[in-house]
Amino acid sequence: MAALPNDLSKVDPADAWKPWAPAATEPWDRKRIAHLFRRAAFGATPTEIDAALKDGFPKTLDRLLKGEPDAADRLELLTETGQFYTEPANLRVWWLYAMLEGGYPLREKLTLFWHNHFATSYAKVRSTKLMYEQNSLIRKHALGHFRPFLLDMSRDTAMLVWLDSNRNVKGAPNENYAREVMELFSLGVGNYTEKDVQEAARAFTGWHHDAEVSKFENNVVLHDDGEKTIFGKKGNWAGADVVRLCCDHEACARFLVGKLYAFLISETKPPAKLLEPLEASFRKSDYDIAALVGTMLSSKLFFSDHAFHKRVKWPVEYAVGAVRAVVPGRVPLSDLTDPLAKMGQVLFAPPNVKGWRTGTDWLNSATLLARNNFAEKVAIGQWSPPSSRPRGSTFARVQTFQTTDNAAPKPPGPPPAPPADQDVAAAVFATNPKDIPAVVKRMGELLHGEPLSPKVAAKLEQFLRERGPAAAPATTPAPGGAAPGFPSPVPPETATKTEFIPPPPLPKTVEAKPLTPAPMPHKAPPFKPDLASDDFKARVREAIHAMMCLPEYQLN
Amino acid sequence: MHNRRDFLTRTVGTSSLLAVGSVVPEFLAKAADKADKAEKKDAKDTILVVIELTGGNDGLNTVAPYGDDLYHKARPTLSFTKKEVLKLDDYCGLHPRMSDMKQLYDSKRLAVIQGVGYPNPDRSHFESMDIWQLADPKRAQVSGWLARTIPSMDTKEAGVPGMYFGDERLPVALQGADGGVISLADRASFRLQLSGNEKPRKGLIEDLNADTKGPAADLAAFVRKRQLQTYTSLAKIEEALKDTNSTQSLRPEFRNGRFVENDPNSITTLSGKLGLIGRLIQKGLGTRIYYVQLPGFDTHSGQAKMHEDLLGNLSNSIGQFFNSLAIYTPEGQTADRVAVMTYSEFGRRVKENGSRGTDHGSGSCMFVAGNKVVGGLVGKHPSLSDLTDGDLKYHTDFRRVYATLLDDWLGVDSKGVLGDKFEKLPLIDMTKKGPAANTPQPAKGFDLPPGATEAPALPVPPPTVKE
Repeated sequence: MAALPNDLSKVDPADAWKPWAPAATEPWDRKRIAHLFRRAAFGATPTEIDAALKDGFPKTLDRLLKGEPDAADRLELLTETGQFYTEPANLRVWWLYAMLEGGYPLREKLTLFWHNHFATSYAKVRSTKLMYEQNSLIRKHALGHFRPFLLDMSRDTAMLVWLDSNRNVKGAPNENYAREVMELFSLGVGNYTEKDVQEAARAFTGWHHDAEVSKFENNVVLHDDGEKTIFGKKGNWAGADVVRLCCDHEACARFLVGKLYAFLISETKPPAKLLEPLEASFRKSDYDIAALVGTMLSSKLFFSDHAFHKRVKWPVEYAVGAVRAVVPGRVPLSDLTDPLAKMGQVLFAPPNVKGWRTGTDWLNSATLLARNNFAEKVAIGQWSPPSSRPRGSTFARVQTFQTTDNAAPKPPGPPPAPPADQDVAAAVFATNPKDIPAVVKRMGELLHGEPLSPKVAAKLEQFLRERGPAAAPATTPAPGGAAPGFPSPVPPETATKTEFIPPPPLPKTVEAKPLTPAPMPHKAPPFKPDLASDDFKARVREAIHAMMCLPEYQLN
Repeated sequence: MHNRRDFLTRTVGTSSLLAVGSVVPEFLAKAADKADKAEKKDAKDTILVVIELTGGNDGLNTVAPYGDDLYHKARPTLSFTKKEVLKLDDYCGLHPRMSDMKQLYDSKRLAVIQGVGYPNPDRSHFESMDIWQLADPKRAQVSGWLARTIPSMDTKEAGVPGMYFGDERLPVALQGADGGVISLADRASFRLQLSGNEKPRKGLIEDLNADTKGPAADLAAFVRKRQLQTYTSLAKIEEALKDTNSTQSLRPEFRNGRFVENDPNSITTLSGKLGLIGRLIQKGLGTRIYYVQLPGFDTHSGQAKMHEDLLGNLSNSIGQFFNSLAIYTPEGQTADRVAVMTYSEFGRRVKENGSRGTDHGSGSCMFVAGNKVVGGLVGKHPSLSDLTDGDLKYHTDFRRVYATLLDDWLGVDSKGVLGDKFEKLPLIDMTKKGPAANTPQPAKGFDLPPGATEAPALPVPPPTVKE
């Protein structure tokens, strides 16, 4: 994309972080806009891309960094409702709603990042109120300054419960928080000693929550006010001093910049020197997170191939992004929580204090299949009707499986079309594409922000030109096959078994071709799909599903 | 088709992945070829099979203290004599029907952990099962201990980390594993869902994934491989489920006075389930945690018959399972990667009741079996003279067993899973060589692979049968 050496170790660190500016060779185009919106938001809709093209790069970036003008009002409304939920499932839906409708997607993305950084789970905290309060606290600081952020998190009630702070008392220190504040929250392994942890635990003694488990309380009676040595510095340190000493530590900027780099730019481990300029300016700004994020998102490196598609989408990014991209209206967000669990990300319930294992660890057979199957839900529009949405589902319990799926072969042909506002085909046809290439171009713009590569587009066009099962002739040239317009007599369950259908002798070609249900291309009159037909729209939905199963679509 | 590559080649050859046509996409063949190479070499690939003995297994008649008068006094109709038990030492012995497990014991591959339990034992099936499966006597955890293991566990080949074999609700132990568990009860959890027009759609997905150009280090190429592995995993599971002409014919099982032919397809029996697991392991499915159940241990009356059937079944199934895994690959013996753990929610009263059965008790035994398991008795048999409310006193917290398996076997930090540090037990020795030195010479009539020293299972007790 941008003119930087292909070898990341040869990229000049000073050059990498210079602000990018559009040029004739590197225009502010759909590809770059979509890339920016995938990282700074949950993807761009074609409308947003058009607006960004018109507004230009600086204005678009500014808007992403600062949020919509009414974001503060929206947050106020969100806050009014968020605090009253008693079911974690509802709190999850609430946050998903904030991501989609809060008017400040970058802030929500960073809130998600810090939720994973300060990973706290309802599993132990057992209070939606405390989880909500922590979430609000994270949101408040997500683009703020790290020092007050870390101090507030160290006294956050949910965190105090999560890391056993009340067990940390003079004479019998509990090292849980003291260790994690160094290992996971500020410095990383290798930048402190066991002695530092022990001494810091003593300093944190007495930082408790109250008996009602509602707020922070400094229990001076249980505080060990003796002298401690942390990072070689002696003093009668207390909790706030440990936080300060951690932030003063030279490893702090390096640790945080590295994590944000993986979240915003690339999960490929960079050479250490590449991040040094960012670390220096982050320290100099006294840990101004917004400034760091702004530098990253506007840098030459960000708009280079070193960043493009170099992250695996987190499940939340995948799900929220897909819904935004191709569903014209709204969907019941409670329908997202179960697929998200299968993809491996339950909000407010990271697996442990280290957070989710991100990057390629998101993808195993079960989670990738869950992504494929969620794509089907989106593409086919299988959303719960408003009345039958599950309410108050139990936290973190896998729902009881229905075994009915095992039997009953599905009826042939596509499922009925969803309501227009949940129909991805409606999103495709919103611009009235005139022919199949225009349909495919539109699908590319919806899901990837830009038209697809000619090769992929050709394959999708080919698929869309085929008859669907409802309009297809019999799949075998047997006499008395079903007439066109009637469902094939072969149920799909058996039709997919290879031994059932003798494969037609196709010429050996280098290019692999999908087997089409119409085996007589030369004799049958060419099939011209009617773009307005229900059958063609079913094909469009199916093509959207296939596109969401593409490896590229798993990347951010 | 014992190794992974063979399987992939074969699967690809018959195009039973997504492919439904006659043209095998080239990328599948290529990717299959590469599948072996690119994986992390050092990632652990040990496998834990958990067998839940549902209902409360009578530990006292599983590992019977035949040398204790108090045992015979407390169990006038149910106790086993010195002659009946399969002696483990001068004090206790295995249930007479557990010959296969005795053989594992003799070849130092079975650890018998005695006196296992937890403080203030709960005698409700439901409550106690929850405690074991949450690994938390306070029951404050909301996800199962295996579910909590999965996010921290490496899985090769992008495999499904955990699988449950049964048609019940997912066991609590596996509940809450976000993205990592499939249940055979829930086909949707291992099926690519395509509502209608399946064939052309599969063709399209395949075709779109066929573009293998681009640098190998490319993230998209990596994800493409993962996609392929996902579809392969699904195919493997389906394949294993319908693998009728499996080469390892299962031994007939002696039940109710006659031999019952085991249907290798039936996953309703323990041997069927373990057989399926064995096939999946051989197919190279990356799954590392398998969970199965053997119900029926709630033996309040007429225990003798029920219990011997159950333990005979358990023992035969485990013996068969290890035999089916005694397969030699370039990476070593498959069985070396497998450990089996059994547990039950509680033991039973020391004193038998008036119906020749036993009531809910506490303090029972656990088994851990495998080639890398340090065999032998672990811990003392709980005293029969020092009881609490007529129940045995436990001395080993069950979480010590869990912690040992997590740290030493699965390579997952046990403190992260259990929330606390537990003293480990000497159960696992990764440096342990195969069972060669300790096994008797192979019996006549068995063909073993070259270099194999694995002894086949002893034939079932009389009446004998030709296999």
